Amino acid sequence: MASITVQFHSLYRLYLCIDRLSLQADDLDEALGQMEEKFGSRLREQFEKRGIELDQKMQDFSLILLNGINIRNLRETKLREGDTLHIFPPSAGG
Amino acid sequence: MTVGKATIQLLTQSAEIYVAPDGKEHPVIGRKAVDSIARAGGISLREVEIAALEQGIIPRSYVRNMGTIGLAGQMKLLQSSVAVVGAGGLGGTIVELLARQGIGHIIIIDNDRFAEEDLNRQLLCTEADLGRHKAIIAARRIKKINSTTIATPCVEKLTRANAHKLLKDAKVVADGLDNLPSRFAVEEACRELGTPFVYGTIAGFSGQLMTIFPGDVGLSSIYGPPDGLPERGVEVKIGTPSATPAMIAAWQVQEVIKVITGFGKPLRNRLLILDAGEGIADRIELGK
Repeated sequence: MASITVQFHSLYRLYLCIDRLSLQADDLDEALGQMEEKFGSRLREQFEKRGIELDQKMQDFSLILLNGINIRNLRETKLREGDTLHIFPPSAGG
Repeated sequence: MTVGKATIQLLTQSAEIYVAPDGKEHPVIGRKAVDSIARAGGISLREVEIAALEQGIIPRSYVRNMGTIGLAGQMKLLQSSVAVVGAGGLGGTIVELLARQGIGHIIIIDNDRFAEEDLNRQLLCTEADLGRHKAIIAARRIKKINSTTIATPCVEKLTRANAHKLLKDAKVVADGLDNLPSRFAVEEACRELGTPFVYGTIAGFSGQLMTIFPGDVGLSSIYGPPDGLPERGVEVKIGTPSATPAMIAAWQVQEVIKVITGFGKPLRNRLLILDAGEGIADRIELGK
């Protein structure tokens, strides 16, 4: 079981009133499952208040980076002691 | 670029002394003198200003740039072309600041026209210019600020097919886009052309930026592969208040200046997230 840090950025920090936490998990799926359980519904509620309806899990509408790499790029999902997950909403405005 | 002896002589004769706020004296040359020397020599304003800097004479409008980038840095800026892709919230502010900084040539790429809903945040959008092409208005604005800067408006949508043609002359490309597929297209073209790309996006009170050199980690580290990505992000719903584009665009311009002059340390392989809502700046070291 690896101890990892999760850091929330931009809107997520505002919506969830938290900037970081520690998790214990063996792999990415387990860590994402814990995050969904703790924060998924709160995050969707915050978005709904602003007129954004989301019926997916937070991992499906968020940008999530493991040690600075988007998890969609990863082949190996085993977590190591000291790993960091960064999570924030996608933005594309200009 | 060399100018004749007659031009050098005119520059020297036209130089005045400017006393800076710290009491130090600098030889400077004013706008009217630059115009007149260019006309007399049949050369461009840019050539005159570069020649002046080579003689240690500072065009007045760049005096306040000297303490940071110096004569050599200002010459590099004047000799450079920068492409700004998108002339809306980010791009309009980038264009404005690049012209004031004294970039020699700015290429503005945007096929869109100003609409009333742009007025809250797009610096170049005025009521009088609603319905007009953003790239054309941006080029006019550049000439009003700094007639030395060459402005090339391109009223075209940048795509993978035309990216090389539109960006090939740029020493640096700045991101003023409003969607992810176009950003990936620009990044790809910049890598192929060997050109640094200064990325930026905004949503609500937050924004992010980084500078991507060919070979650096890039958008894929943030977003994953482009296939299957949504075109836009949360800004579609939460919008963009007036100051957020200026906050990110200002830093993008600093990145452009650093890349061209070699001053400081560009934000390479690091994503900077500025969150004005919470008053926090985060930096994420990116991996490959």
